[in-house]
Amino acid sequence: MIIKKHVSSLLIGALLATGGASVAHAGKSDDTLNVAIDRELESIDNYYNTAREGIIISRMVWDALLYRDPKTNEYLPNLATSYTWVDSKTLEFELRKGVKFHNGEKFDADDVVFTLNYVADPKNGAKPARNVNWWSSAEKLGEYKVRLNLKKEFPAALEFLSGPIVMYPNDYYGKVGPEGMAIKPVGTGPYAVTSVEPGKRYRFKKYDGHHSGSPKGKANIGNVVFRTIAESNTQLAELFSGGIDWIWKVKPDQAERIKSQGAFTVKNSSTMRIGYLNFDAMGRHSKNPMNDVRVRKAIAHAIDREGIVKNLVQGESIVVNSLCFPSQFGCTQDVPTYDYNPEKAKKLLAEAGYPNGFETPFLAYRNRDYAEAMINNLNAIGIKTKFEYLKYAAFRDKVQEGASPFNFGTWGSYSINDVSAITSHFQSGGKDDYSKDPEVIKQLGIGDTNVDPQVRKDAYKAALSRISEEVFMFPLWSYNTWYAFSKDVEFTPTADEIPRFFTAKWK
Amino acid sequence: MSLSNSANINRSGKLSSLIKKVKGHQGMIIGSVIVITVIAIALLAPLIAPHDPYHQDLMRRLVPPVWDSRGSWEHILGTDHLGRDYLSRLIYGARISLLIGIGAAVISGIIGTFMGVMAGYFGGRVDMVVTFLITVRLSMPVVLVALAVVAIVGGSLQVVVTVLGLLLWDRFAVVMRSSTLQIRSMDYVAAARAVGCSTSRVLIAEVMPNVVNNLIVITTIEIAHAIILEAALSFLGLGVQPPLPSWGLMVSEGKDMMLFEPWLIAIPGVALFMLVLAINLMGDGARDITAPENRN
Amino acid sequence: MLFYTLKRFGLASLVALTVSFISFGLLYLSSDPAIAMAGETASDADIEAIRKLYGFDRPILVQYFDWLQRAVGGDLGKSYYFRTDVSALIGERLPTTMMLGVSAITFAILFSVPLGVAAAIRPNSIIDRVALFLSVMGQALPSFWFALMLIVLLSVNLRLLPTSGSDTWLHFVMPTVVLGYYAAPAIMRLTRTGMLEVLSTDYIRTARAKGLRPVVVLFKHALRNAIIPVVSLAAVQFGFMLGGSIVVETIFALHGAGFLAWESITRNDLPTVQGLILVFSLFYIVLTFFADLLNAWLDPRIRIS
Repeated sequence: MIIKKHVSSLLIGALLATGGASVAHAGKSDDTLNVAIDRELESIDNYYNTAREGIIISRMVWDALLYRDPKTNEYLPNLATSYTWVDSKTLEFELRKGVKFHNGEKFDADDVVFTLNYVADPKNGAKPARNVNWWSSAEKLGEYKVRLNLKKEFPAALEFLSGPIVMYPNDYYGKVGPEGMAIKPVGTGPYAVTSVEPGKRYRFKKYDGHHSGSPKGKANIGNVVFRTIAESNTQLAELFSGGIDWIWKVKPDQAERIKSQGAFTVKNSSTMRIGYLNFDAMGRHSKNPMNDVRVRKAIAHAIDREGIVKNLVQGESIVVNSLCFPSQFGCTQDVPTYDYNPEKAKKLLAEAGYPNGFETPFLAYRNRDYAEAMINNLNAIGIKTKFEYLKYAAFRDKVQEGASPFNFGTWGSYSINDVSAITSHFQSGGKDDYSKDPEVIKQLGIGDTNVDPQVRKDAYKAALSRISEEVFMFPLWSYNTWYAFSKDVEFTPTADEIPRFFTAKWK
Repeated sequence: MSLSNSANINRSGKLSSLIKKVKGHQGMIIGSVIVITVIAIALLAPLIAPHDPYHQDLMRRLVPPVWDSRGSWEHILGTDHLGRDYLSRLIYGARISLLIGIGAAVISGIIGTFMGVMAGYFGGRVDMVVTFLITVRLSMPVVLVALAVVAIVGGSLQVVVTVLGLLLWDRFAVVMRSSTLQIRSMDYVAAARAVGCSTSRVLIAEVMPNVVNNLIVITTIEIAHAIILEAALSFLGLGVQPPLPSWGLMVSEGKDMMLFEPWLIAIPGVALFMLVLAINLMGDGARDITAPENRN
Repeated sequence: MLFYTLKRFGLASLVALTVSFISFGLLYLSSDPAIAMAGETASDADIEAIRKLYGFDRPILVQYFDWLQRAVGGDLGKSYYFRTDVSALIGERLPTTMMLGVSAITFAILFSVPLGVAAAIRPNSIIDRVALFLSVMGQALPSFWFALMLIVLLSVNLRLLPTSGSDTWLHFVMPTVVLGYYAAPAIMRLTRTGMLEVLSTDYIRTARAKGLRPVVVLFKHALRNAIIPVVSLAAVQFGFMLGGSIVVETIFALHGAGFLAWESITRNDLPTVQGLILVFSLFYIVLTFFADLLNAWLDPRIRIS
């Protein structure tokens, strides 16, 4: 290990040498894993938050009927021991016997029926709506048998039922509702919640009564504490001083240096999130250069995606060529692609009538440095940008109101491993759609509503190809996440960006 | 004719005694030299900067300065997270910081002094209205106003200077008002009015010279404040927009690496510090030189 | 004195009203409340439904007065983000910020006033130079840098203090220093200037000539006069600190009202922001009111005007 000669390195080096002994056992010695998260959770109730941290907690505290294995992507039985498609719009489940909630309540069909009917009711405002608005009702067929009636063909049904659609105890939830669940959550998962300081700190304790047939397995680490620390440098300081044992979303430059110091385990994993450029192809905002497909192709050739991925995004990220993440069902890279070719870009611009380039507004909400690198690429072919960098809420509002002819965004698909969670979101004529191409909309519609996998794949391929041909949107790269944690912890990240603390253990 | 001067001194004598006083004041000299140097750097930027401050080189990101073992003379102060030469950005950044500091202080100074002196001198309803406006302004969170303005109008250098100018006048007003209140009841002011001097005459000839000391102190504080506030706004994303090389923006862009490559914020930080120190020295010097007790 | 008080009180209420109306307007101009409330993935129909249900389609003035009416009765509405009562939310977070603010301004005053007086007594001496240097440091040092450097030194390296959080009083030591240091320079410099001026007036020279002891001269006469603009400034600084606490609360993970304010603004959580602004401006008004009273007591001349 090369010892670099500069101040902070010495600072941290000194710390790790002297404080090393006491740091190393901080978490392990009291069997508590201290985790830092970077933002306040609006509610710990699974159906009333849309944050990634909420998804993580959800997997720890509650269970769904099925469980998607993160390595094989198979749907394994969890609270349901088997399922049958009675017809293309009806599912039946046999439920597991002998499962108990954290508060001792018995798990049975009443819980499933109550939960599914409650969250599907728009009056109750469960979010995100797309997770719960695809079935019409659930019925009890027996003490351990339920039927789910879908509104229409919905091939992603199993994907949702194996992740975000978790089961609540009907007696408890019926009494306390979301307000009660937000303060004192009750589930069947491997961890029970012992205290909630809303937005600040959440404490979890291993639940020994977690059902033995569970694909998640029982937890190993006895206690977990989540603390909200918004500032990344503070998270690092806490990691170095031993107050925190596990952090993630570490910036690549930081991660690189922590890794080379060697005092903590640093891992990287890909995520389903991809970055994209969105263009006003149809003139929804105004008559502007983005209406012209040649301009869009020019921009596609102008961005040095490989360079940005290699130097800025780093980690396990790759350039993506279609508007989806490669592992998602229906995603194919067999579509028209655009290489980095500024000369060709300039020619296309001239053809379109902009030999000297033009000026355009450009909007983004994250990864300012990637945006700046792209602006640099655009400047090189003569396109000047009026750059606006907003917070996510403001960005989303502006885009959805039709006020942004050219923007850089990202989408994580809520870790749903299906093209319908991304491509259909952006190109089915919705609020984020600035092309509303009838052909694309038609193909996506076929893919979204058919249950035959081959039919779906073909339709999605057609849609993705057309999107690439016309560059309605330009896919950039996949994102990755860096994790840094104490050497006492054995932890493996998964590609769906949902850390599973119930599989972590002490070394 | 000012009644607070006890003797009639002709103009050229006044000037030469002023220069003598400046020469004798160490702090003033040091401060002025630094400020003049910064201004010179700002004006000569295109001639002295070794590279284009906007040129990115993704292969040479985060190169440390030349004194580190990994540094090189090609980038004396290293490069930032997009591979841009730090020295060049620092040089061009002088322009932005000076513009912001002076622009915002001038705007807020004019607004605040006018309001403060009016309120202190006339009292009564004028004072009530001004005090009301000051209190409203101070109760308004800067961040909210800046955010709303940026959301509506978009961020740019002019917007930042204007927003800061419209938000920083309060200290001028408060202090000018206090000082004017004190001065107003002084004998020489009463005498001037008794003699029949018009209000504006009294204000300009009697009140202003005596509140000028506090004004100078507050102006220097506010120039520095505006420069620092711009850094805070950049931190929140509401200040000058990249890729403009403002020192404040350079500091907030380097924040993520501060535990590992501290020079990224140390360098623009030191520049900011030197400029602010110099401005303060000049302000102190000017106050000492023009203080009434020094006048004869 | 009573009339003075009533006058100030009336003025104060008017200020609070004006501030809350301006911020209401600003918030509405910069974001659409229906979208903020409906959330990320709501459809157009959902948003329209919410717009009608909550009356977001009414004119701004009507909506404002509706809010005002309820606010005066103590109902600040429900947070769009947390779905809990805004008053409860603020009530939970405010004590942390208040504790931080009070200890910070105390630190600032205890640090700056003696330093300013000492610098004024011996102008251009070492003390004066040191005071100037420290005051410039306080202004030119970005507070986040100072905060993180303190953390690295005192918490990571020396293990003297905890890094972040708000569990014990030890957790407040570094935040107090960082926030107070930010307010100190202006107070110090104004004290110094004020003292310098007062010390050279005829008034003081007379007192000295009369043979009064220097200490008496210093405190009873000089400081009392010099402190007047400083008192106003201290109140102003406290107001600033409520805003400056955003950075400190964020870095030290203090979860106070400052942090809540910033996060709520960026989340377009209008009711929370409105509630916080109301609370802050009321606080600020009470503060300046007391500062004015103190000034009037210190200098009867001001009272008469």
